[in-house]
Amino acid sequence: MTGVRWQLRAALILLGGAVRGAVQYRADIVFTMIAGALYNGAGFATIWVVLDRFEVIAGWDIGDMALLYGMRLVAHGLWLVPFNQLDWFSDHVREGSFDRYLVRPASPLLQLLTTRIQFSPFGDLISGLVVLGAAMSAVDVDWGPLTVAYLVFALIGGALIEGGIQLALSSIAFRTLKADQVKLTVDSVFNLFGNYPARIFGTAGQLVLSVIPVVFVAYLPASVLLGRVDAAGLPAVVAWLSPLAGVVVATASYLVWRRMLLGYQSSGT
Amino acid sequence: MPLIEARGLVKDFHRPRRRTGRFAGLRTLVSRERETVRAVDGVSFSIESGELVGYLGPNGAGKSTTIKMLTGILTPTAGEVTVAGVVPWRKRQDNARNIGVVFGQRSQLWWDLPLVESLRLVGKLYRMPRTRYEENLAKFVELLDMRPFLDTPVRQLSLGQRMRGDLAAAMIYEPAVLYLDEPTVGLDVIAKERIRKFVADLSSTSGTTVLLTTHDMDDVEALCERLILIDHGKVLYDGTPAALKDSYAPQRELVVQLASPCEVTVAGARTVESGEGVVRLSFDPAETPAAALISELFGNYPVTDVSLQETDLEDVIKKIYAGRS
Repeated sequence: MTGVRWQLRAALILLGGAVRGAVQYRADIVFTMIAGALYNGAGFATIWVVLDRFEVIAGWDIGDMALLYGMRLVAHGLWLVPFNQLDWFSDHVREGSFDRYLVRPASPLLQLLTTRIQFSPFGDLISGLVVLGAAMSAVDVDWGPLTVAYLVFALIGGALIEGGIQLALSSIAFRTLKADQVKLTVDSVFNLFGNYPARIFGTAGQLVLSVIPVVFVAYLPASVLLGRVDAAGLPAVVAWLSPLAGVVVATASYLVWRRMLLGYQSSGT
Repeated sequence: MPLIEARGLVKDFHRPRRRTGRFAGLRTLVSRERETVRAVDGVSFSIESGELVGYLGPNGAGKSTTIKMLTGILTPTAGEVTVAGVVPWRKRQDNARNIGVVFGQRSQLWWDLPLVESLRLVGKLYRMPRTRYEENLAKFVELLDMRPFLDTPVRQLSLGQRMRGDLAAAMIYEPAVLYLDEPTVGLDVIAKERIRKFVADLSSTSGTTVLLTTHDMDDVEALCERLILIDHGKVLYDGTPAALKDSYAPQRELVVQLASPCEVTVAGARTVESGEGVVRLSFDPAETPAAALISELFGNYPVTDVSLQETDLEDVIKKIYAGRS
């Protein structure tokens, strides 16, 4: 009764509760989705303005940039939609309210994630899909079953990388009680550098971004799709297999989380 | 085999060692030195199925920490614990199906949902058959008088209502063990009384094993056949409330009303207070049986009334806490 099927059913039960709770604040749902879309629209507009002056960045024109931006944003939205409750995680640890997840018959992580529904990540996801859709018709890529399948895997892989890294960083809070700042910093790095072709940051920059591993989220798979693997500065096979990086990162992160959970100290009462 | 078994349970908490003096904050931050606080220090006990046990101790004695190890929330530093054959921290989700937990300080209900929705979610998480759930819900609504606020969002409930809701949520799936961590804290007299009656009924009709922590000795007097007293993380006493009173406060008091004021001296009893025709005598029932004392008084003095004072558990506990180092 702790198997995967039960966990999925428990998730649906809890999600049902979260939806019922959220509909009590209907105005909030609409506003947060609009805010999310506006925020990301502004981000892409910045790149547009830059490209309008320079036309190409490291050989990437506006269509290529939109594909990269769209893929990154969709991957970001894909992990944020289910994982946004991690933002409250260290509060739960510090105040001891994480206790409740440990005395119910479902995975504590799953219970945390289904505590509430946030709607701003849907704004990210929707604006990402809009940019990506527009980019797909603008770029010079032959969209057949194979390329589309690769795109889908790349998006899921990118989501798993960002989500996995945020999960591993969050679990530090089991020991230190607070991990918000490091999470925020890493998230900013992904948001800042993930949207540009990593080559523009020079060899050293590219190396750092490969280790973190920002380039695996969207830059490498976008390079593969655009036929620029040779320009990415990494062996072609690494670029081609980049969607798998997500599986590795997410698995490792989940194991870290499980290990760190044993160090949970609850609160005084 | 006992339902709950703890053997040599230890829990240490670590925190960075605080520095004092110049740049204290910065030095605390960079230091890797930690200090260890031992909250639970070798606690052992076993509880049989159906027992109702009070787990008592002053603030910071290690009560909540023990409960959290029994529920699987905390991983013990050392020692062993099994609850219904399950090691809680290893198999949290299996353990969760066997236990109900109520923390007086913190609700486990869904804040934004009506109470009845919270109960429904709990029923589903514990995979209750629908008819069984409906039966139990009807029973608990009746017993805890929850009908007036069943459809109120939890955030709008009063403390007493919320506590009743939490009790229902912890028991609706019929767990074998119920942990109550200060269930009556902050409640008024009526609300306390209602909770006590519910727990007593549950224990006697369903045979639920209950482990209760509280600072309210009325809870203990009303409910517990057995007490485990801990302090500084160690068990000080494990036994019946009556035996605790006998060992820590063996003296009992007899209040004697006299027709006319006079000096009273009886062998085996000491006068604690005397005046206006009333005398309070203190005696040890093991040496001087109350019956012998009373008959001697009636034989020698103009006694109009006598009353034997029950030893107050509150006083006994106070004495123990005060005597600790």
